Amino acid sequence: MMMISNSTKLVCLKGAALQQPNRSMATLKQIQMRLKSVTNIQKITQSMKMVSAAKYARAERELRQARPYGDGVKAFFEKSGAAEAPADNNNGKVIVAITSDRGLCGAVHTNVSKAIRNELSTELPDTVQTQVFCVGDKSRALLQRLYSKNIAVVANEVGRKPPTFLDASKVANELVQLNFGSGKIVYNKFKSVVSYKTEEVPLLSAKTMLAAPKLQSYDSIDEGVIESYQEFTIASLIYYAMKQSACSEQSSRMTAMDNASKNAGEMISKLTLTFNRTRQAVITRELIEIISGAAALE
Amino acid sequence: MSYWRAAGLNYVTYSNIAAKIVRRVLKPELQANAIKRDETHVKFTPWIKGKPSKPGQ
Repeated sequence: MMMISNSTKLVCLKGAALQQPNRSMATLKQIQMRLKSVTNIQKITQSMKMVSAAKYARAERELRQARPYGDGVKAFFEKSGAAEAPADNNNGKVIVAITSDRGLCGAVHTNVSKAIRNELSTELPDTVQTQVFCVGDKSRALLQRLYSKNIAVVANEVGRKPPTFLDASKVANELVQLNFGSGKIVYNKFKSVVSYKTEEVPLLSAKTMLAAPKLQSYDSIDEGVIESYQEFTIASLIYYAMKQSACSEQSSRMTAMDNASKNAGEMISKLTLTFNRTRQAVITRELIEIISGAAALE
Repeated sequence: MSYWRAAGLNYVTYSNIAAKIVRRVLKPELQANAIKRDETHVKFTPWIKGKPSKPGQ
């Protein structure tokens, strides 16, 4: 956005310089000021890129350790057939939005919110069927305008430091208190440095798990074990989703800041060119004035 | 029913307490790193009817 408005201003500046060559003294100063501010912005975006590159490396390393948490649960859902089991419709639905507090990272947060918005838009107006649990201020900010009634809990202070399992278990404990029958987590799955995909994983209640058709393929399972396991799946899925989304966020911020620095570089070269041309024009005009003044005296 | 569930804990809280104890008894060189995983900053605000309500109310 900022870049666009800057470049339109640049066009205006150029136009002004062409129309009123006599006023070029003022434009010279203006161009100089713009040049300075763009250079400062470039410095900031460059250092932000460096910071997020370092954070990304750490997030990626930690993600590797966190993957089994999610993969294990997903495998259980699949093999036991719990994902296809009839959902527990007695209690409400819940959607967990995994984002963070921080912006300037491309479309990661928007994608999550958009997915949830699409889901909520299918509901009847004026009824709250689905509760939304926002992890991170960004999803709250993006959802509160249209669906503030659906928001049940907002968790913030997410994203400053890498998420820990303790963070995830706190979120899980808050989530359990919502008494949901079924639900899902929407997060950004990290694919590579340049790509991520918005995905969702189901959250199942203990009842749904017990009703899974192929539960017999697992040994020595009783209600108590399933109850404990269900609590653990929520925490570990949230942990997995938080790690994935932290990693996608950092990688996306890296790309975004890289692009911003590149755009700033482009603007700087254009502005320098305009600056030099204007300065040359001023010098030429002054020379003409002096010479023609001297010629008039002779 | 397990004793910890009878005490009103759920599995996640129970295992987190266990993890905390394990971190505390680690050798010093390992503990330095593990203790970093023992902190949490997340804050929660419950929302009622589309408005945030102060925690504890």
